[in-house]
Amino acid sequence: MNGIDAYREAVGTLMEILSMDHFTSNMVSIPLIQPIIDFLLQVPVVGYIVALVLWKPMFALLIFPGLITLLTVLLFIIWFERKLTARIQWRKGPVEVLRWAGGIIQALADGMRYFFQEVIVHRDAHRPYFLQFPILIFIPVLLPLLFIPAGSIVGVKTPYSLAIAVAIVSLIPVFIIGIGWASNSRFAYIGTVREGFMYFAYEIPFILAVISMILLYGTADMVEIVEKQSVPGIFLNPVAAFVFFVTTVMATSRLPFEIPEADQEIAFGPFVEYSGIMFGLVMTIAYEKMYILSLLMAVLFFGGGNGPTIPLLGDLNGVVWLFVKTIAIMMVLSFLRSIYARFRLDQALRMSWSTLMKISMVSLAIGIVANLAFYGLGA
Amino acid sequence: MEEMVLDVPVQPPTELFLPVPKRFLEEAYRSDDYLVLVGPQHPGSGHMRIVLRIKGDVIVEAIPDPGYVHRSMEKLAENRLYIQNIPLFERPAIMDTGNVTLGYVRAIEKALDVEVPERAKYIRTILAELSRIGTHLYDAGILAVFLGHTTGFMWPFALREPIVEAMTKISGARITSSFVIPGGVRRDVPWSVLEFVRKTTFVLEKRLKSFEKIFIKNPTVIDRLKGVGILSREDAIKFGVVGPFLRASGVEYDVRVVEPYEAYDEVNWEVPVSDDGDSYSRFLVRVEEIAQSISIVRQAVNELRRIPEGRVISEDILHEYASVASTDIRGYFFKVFGDLTLPKGEFTSLTEASRGTLLYSLLSDGESNVPYRARVITPGWYYLKGFMEALRGERLADLQGIYGSFGYFPPEADR
Repeated sequence: MNGIDAYREAVGTLMEILSMDHFTSNMVSIPLIQPIIDFLLQVPVVGYIVALVLWKPMFALLIFPGLITLLTVLLFIIWFERKLTARIQWRKGPVEVLRWAGGIIQALADGMRYFFQEVIVHRDAHRPYFLQFPILIFIPVLLPLLFIPAGSIVGVKTPYSLAIAVAIVSLIPVFIIGIGWASNSRFAYIGTVREGFMYFAYEIPFILAVISMILLYGTADMVEIVEKQSVPGIFLNPVAAFVFFVTTVMATSRLPFEIPEADQEIAFGPFVEYSGIMFGLVMTIAYEKMYILSLLMAVLFFGGGNGPTIPLLGDLNGVVWLFVKTIAIMMVLSFLRSIYARFRLDQALRMSWSTLMKISMVSLAIGIVANLAFYGLGA
Repeated sequence: MEEMVLDVPVQPPTELFLPVPKRFLEEAYRSDDYLVLVGPQHPGSGHMRIVLRIKGDVIVEAIPDPGYVHRSMEKLAENRLYIQNIPLFERPAIMDTGNVTLGYVRAIEKALDVEVPERAKYIRTILAELSRIGTHLYDAGILAVFLGHTTGFMWPFALREPIVEAMTKISGARITSSFVIPGGVRRDVPWSVLEFVRKTTFVLEKRLKSFEKIFIKNPTVIDRLKGVGILSREDAIKFGVVGPFLRASGVEYDVRVVEPYEAYDEVNWEVPVSDDGDSYSRFLVRVEEIAQSISIVRQAVNELRRIPEGRVISEDILHEYASVASTDIRGYFFKVFGDLTLPKGEFTSLTEASRGTLLYSLLSDGESNVPYRARVITPGWYYLKGFMEALRGERLADLQGIYGSFGYFPPEADR
């Protein structure tokens, strides 16, 4: 009997979790389209789906900052980067695909082309890993999105969210090294070694900058961090913001630190052997990483979802402001490509192990002093 | 779907072809060095292969494997009329058309002992210097993209456009003009076009300032190029480096000064020299040469104002057509040059092309209207050894920086 009781209880809990009331109790409220939502909730099946999607954790996972926004941002930022670079370089950039919108779906067209191209797995590759890693890498790329709060919308609320997000982001290079190892080619090998060197070089200043902000805010919960920022974090600890920005540039291998993937030197390094849709997947990794790190930067230093409230948007306020800030940061990162040349590996390593490390130590000191000043010795 | 089996009697090669001696391979393997074959299908190699032996990140040895764009120009030249060889010899470095054709034509003129009209001399000088600016800009663009600086790649290519436009107005062709012919130039250049050329130089000067800001003085570029790929003065002479790269190592040698041809001894200009011998000074010498070329072009245009319009082809070569064809060869081209025959002997000319000394040597048997033997040594071939020596001891990532600073152009070197 006990077993059946436990079973019934479990089913009951499950039903409760899956019930529409459970979703509607924690729903994203948007006054602007509330009548439409109210109407849709009355429709039998559609109502359930709408309630599920607008349930805050699911909204965070699916819409913002999750899947749909990620894809939109990928589409947009690649187009924007090409358009901006073209503008600086006295060119036009992509125009032919969807002419009236200035070629904005060029990345989508390229993706479709990749999709229908042959995926060549060369003889020397470690076949399972070669094909698995570009897909597995989406785990560390997508997971941190669950912990990033957009106003009141957050996938998983935990006091360790910042630490978890940073830890998962740090896993991405491990997968890239795996990709390079599975490729088993000379240029991939060199690129992988470079990736490994860069990984250690930027990760420590990066984590020090994050720790200094955790000390400054006195918490690692990103929801609280956003709430505490009546003054954006960049004014509280500009040194940490600088370190975070530079390490973001390094981590996403953007110029001037595009060292592991230097196409003129080692032909895209770890990704040299990929073709077809696999190439499409590995080439978006850097952009996805850039998106996550920009989100983290917006949360840590620019007040996350804070901003002037627009009553009509309701819960979407945080979403809109975080989105705007993230896109602005990504635009600045895109701009770097057209003004800098690439550093050499040894120069980048020297820079990050000496100068950047010193600066991150300063930021850590600021964090400790602020921690003592705000929360006293007892905290 | 059923798999189709093709019964082809050809077996694919089982052993890999390696362009290096087997001994070298084994040695590299034993000493735990890493062998990297850069090219010929590599975004940063051009039409050639460079076999690198790497210890850690440092290049121990670099072996070039050129010849992928060899077109046997010297042999082809033996079966063509002297005049037909002008467009042929233009092909190795088409953006440098003014200089490469000039060298060949001067060898013919030397053989026939032709005195070129003064106006033609100045027009040739303008063409040569415009080509020089164009080539220097082209190589600056390649250097920039090798360093990952795409803006530095696009801007010089856009900057070449006014030069190409000026060439079009002078000769009718954007790049391969073949405008220089034995005895002068194809036709006179009207005053309006010369004025356009003069204005072009001002446009270039203005735009080059913005290029300087974004690329030449860019801190990342300086970091990448300074102190990299150093060729000392002695090494540069020993390895036979030529042109701006020799001057960047502190040797003040320029054919235009040592054996002045055309109007170079009548205009004022300086030979830019640097003592550092590294990649950055090689680049800076070429940048400075652009400024000197602009100055030469302006002076030449001003001089042309003084010389009356008209005669641009020498009577020595036109003979009975001198009265009708001396301002414009059109209509008389084949009549004049069809059976051009050189006296018996060997005739050599040295020219300062954009990338360095260019040698043409024509061997004539004195009776046929084609050369018995034509020898072309392009600057790229001269400085290939120096380029490889400069790589030694540098880091792998610097291969492209040094490559770009030399502006090595395989089609030119391979001929």
